Amino acid sequence: MAERNMSMEKCPMPVQDPDVRNKNFDEVALGYTYEMAVNEARRCLNCKNKPCTSACPVQIDIPAFIERVANEDIEGAYEVLSKQTSLPAVCGRVCPQENQCEGKCVRGIKGEAVGIGRLERFVADYHREHCTEAPVKPESNGHKVAVIGAGPSGLTVAGDLAKMGYEVTIYEALHLAGGVLVYGIPEFRLPKSIVQKEIDNLKAIGVDVQTNMVIGRILTIDELFEMGNEAVFVGSGAGLPRFMNIPGESLKGVYSANEFLTRINLMKAYKEDSKTPIQHAKKVAVVGGGNVAMDAARSAKRLGAEEVYIVYRRGMEELPARKEEVEHAEEEGIIFKTLNNPLEILGDEDGMVCGMKCIEMELGEPDESGRRRPVAKEGSEFVLDVDSVIMAIGTSPNPLIRSTTPGLETNNRGCLITKDENGQTTREGVYAGGDAVTGAATVILAMGAGKAAAKSIDEYIKSKN
Amino acid sequence: MYKIVKKESLNPTVSKMVIEAPLIAKKAEPGQFIIFRAKEDSERVPLTISDFDREAGTVTIIYQIVGGATMELDTLKEGESLHDFVGPLGVPTHTEGLKKVAVIGGGVGSAIAYPVTKKLHKMGAEVHAIVGFRNKDLVILEDEFKNASDKFVMMTDDGSYGEKGLVTDALEKLINEGNDYDEVIAIGPLIMMKFVCLTTKKYDIKTVVSMNPIMIDGTGMCGGCRLTVGGETKFACVDGPDFDGHLVDFDEAMHRGTMYKDFETKAREASCNLLKGANA
Ligand SMILES: Cc1cc2nc3c(=O)[nH]c(=O)nc-3n(C[C@H](O)[C@H](O)[C@H](O)COP(=O)(O)OP(=O)(O)OC[C@H]3O[C@@H](n4cnc5c(N)ncnc54)[C@H](O)[C@@H]3O)c2cc1C
Ligand SMILES: Cc1cc2nc3c(=O)[nH]c(=O)nc-3n(C[C@H](O)[C@H](O)[C@H](O)COP(=O)(O)OP(=O)(O)OC[C@H]3O[C@@H](n4cnc5c(N)ncnc54)[C@H](O)[C@@H]3O)c2cc1C
Ligand code: SF4
Ligand code: SF4
Ligand code: FES
Repeated sequence: MAERNMSMEKCPMPVQDPDVRNKNFDEVALGYTYEMAVNEARRCLNCKNKPCTSACPVQIDIPAFIERVANEDIEGAYEVLSKQTSLPAVCGRVCPQENQCEGKCVRGIKGEAVGIGRLERFVADYHREHCTEAPVKPESNGHKVAVIGAGPSGLTVAGDLAKMGYEVTIYEALHLAGGVLVYGIPEFRLPKSIVQKEIDNLKAIGVDVQTNMVIGRILTIDELFEMGNEAVFVGSGAGLPRFMNIPGESLKGVYSANEFLTRINLMKAYKEDSKTPIQHAKKVAVVGGGNVAMDAARSAKRLGAEEVYIVYRRGMEELPARKEEVEHAEEEGIIFKTLNNPLEILGDEDGMVCGMKCIEMELGEPDESGRRRPVAKEGSEFVLDVDSVIMAIGTSPNPLIRSTTPGLETNNRGCLITKDENGQTTREGVYAGGDAVTGAATVILAMGAGKAAAKSIDEYIKSKN
Repeated sequence: MYKIVKKESLNPTVSKMVIEAPLIAKKAEPGQFIIFRAKEDSERVPLTISDFDREAGTVTIIYQIVGGATMELDTLKEGESLHDFVGPLGVPTHTEGLKKVAVIGGGVGSAIAYPVTKKLHKMGAEVHAIVGFRNKDLVILEDEFKNASDKFVMMTDDGSYGEKGLVTDALEKLINEGNDYDEVIAIGPLIMMKFVCLTTKKYDIKTVVSMNPIMIDGTGMCGGCRLTVGGETKFACVDGPDFDGHLVDFDEAMHRGTMYKDFETKAREASCNLLKGANA
């Protein structure tokens, strides 16, 4: 048994220097070295009741995998992770750990929690770099399943079912698989090569990935059944951007975060020789306070903006983004204008953004969600000097699939209704999960929903045959 | 891969390609479009489906070479393939119940106006087609329009072919001659569509226009294609591209269309140099 490390602090994550990284798109966090990982793993107390595991949406056996790292059995640790997650390299990077596993770690009571996410990332990266075994294609069981959308939920369903022997086809609307992992989350937080590797592995075990296929247009769900699929999984995400409906939102220089990030990530506008145009603004306001807003702000900075503001109507405490991303953004020089709300975007005679009128806010009584409701301070209007505005105030599910599929019901927010956590929708044989069901949420929840759906699809098809 | 079965030049800057895309051909309806990427790292660019053959499994596109992406497309030869080709996107043009229609096409917009003209004609509606070009050299699809319409008017800005004048002059003349249209469908440059709408507004004739804002995904994900229609924000790729022309804010759409002008000018120069290099 290795000696326990009783340091109160997490082993710090090596990162690129803020003044260097805010000018490039390379990954910010560089990952633990082998020694750092083993050392950090030895801070875990291997608690019997596993409070950390109960706070992980997919119930990873955290003490078990960490113990293997402490004992320098990295492949063993990977096996433990693999039982519960198919995207450890992704979740280890982007999970809001402080609210989940690490939030409940007993080492966090007096000191810092064990770096669970960082260890998960280390194990996944180590495995990817060292594993030489090619994935094996399982023998087919002769049953076909179609998956709509190649985001984390769809990729997980496809992988799990393929491993059980199903013949799975993923239909993806864009020219590249990965969902938000490729078009939304920037390279500096999640290198695209990692996502690509996951997709290559799926292909290697027999999953057929068909890109450029917008389901609801080129094929309907009914046609997918006619083609011999016995079940269909809808993992189409929540990609429809919301705007504020304030004057000036159609001016040139106003982007939805989705458009801005898609141009940068999917269309590679950050590269010098890219054919995709993007505005290189001097002063940018990003409206919103979640992960999406942080990603947009930090990307704008990297494109060369001198000043980038986060304009959020509540306070610093209420920012919904991951803590680490907020800290990274601050280090990179993003200016937080919290407790401010936009009223109007101002334009010049060419229809180009030249400012944004805002009003100061203060926090009043708590609302239904328990958060204190922001209220405008009368007479506090001011104009923020900006030449670009990026709206990152949320997204909702795209109506295309529900409007072309009879029997598929949605709630008043446009989310598909599922009967239970297994993802069965209101239509027989159709399952759904991820953001399409929950509205914009997290990678790990989407992946977890995919795992549950794969299990119930398997049971459903077996019960029929 | 999406193979180019046939390629043909229609005028010095407009070409036609017939592409192998059986699933799209099966579903395509007039008014819908595709988004292509010529090569692995190209831009995503929308083009209208200007014809389709369900049996042969092919889709026809007609494009004007205006910038980087269309130049790159034009470098591909018959037998080669496009990297990406996604569709059919957008809502098909509404044609149900129409008995008498004037279809107006301006420039390369005629290519977009042709499939709906053909469909209306097949349905048995009385179709008057008015097409306008800057000059004789730019005329495309003349025979096709003639065969698909009950009345055909050719206009050129300089009078080098057909009648001299604008499509709005021809439309107004037909209306004044007593033609009572259920609807006018206008497709072409924004400025042309704007003036057609101002004309038809006077006579209170319902007018449908096909909007062509800058797009990326074409699935409703980016909002880049948004327009203001009747005071509401609409996404052209999923709510359109057809809209009630009397409600569209054309001035805003014209502004938004120039968003990347400088970038495109540079890209175009770079491509030109590349092409020159390749030909030298
Ligand atoms: C910028 C940004 C940053 C984020 N940061 C984090 C983070 O740090 N941590 C975290 O946990 N979560 C984060 N999220 C949220 C997380 O990415 C999503 O919750 C997750 O990706 C949802 O997965 P999904 O599989 O449900 O859908 P998506 O990832 O949205 O994938 C859906 C896929 O379906 C495709 N599709 C849609 N309609 C059709 C159709 N009709 N036919 C075919 N295909 C279709 C789409 O093109 C897309 O590829 C972030 C999101 C964004 C936008
Ligand atoms: C739904 C839809 C259907 C279309 N159908 C056709 C078609 O059938 N045939 C055809 O030739 N073109 C069509 N277009 C226009 C076509 O998409 C543009 O010409 C193309 O994007 C230009 O790309 P580029 O890189 O070659 O030129 P760029 O370098 O991008 O642009 C060159 C010039 O064209 C302008 N421009 C850029 N994008 C557009 C646009 N989307 N619409 C109008 N002007 C633009 C720019 O402001 C610039 O002045 C359609 C557009 C839409 C949205
Ligand atoms: S998946 Fe997320 S919540 Fe679960 S252990 Fe890993 S980082 Fe923590
Ligand atoms: S709560 Fe913390 S210390 Fe306890 S087992 Fe989990 S990670 Fe280890
Ligand atoms: S092109 Fe992106 S929403 Fe229409």
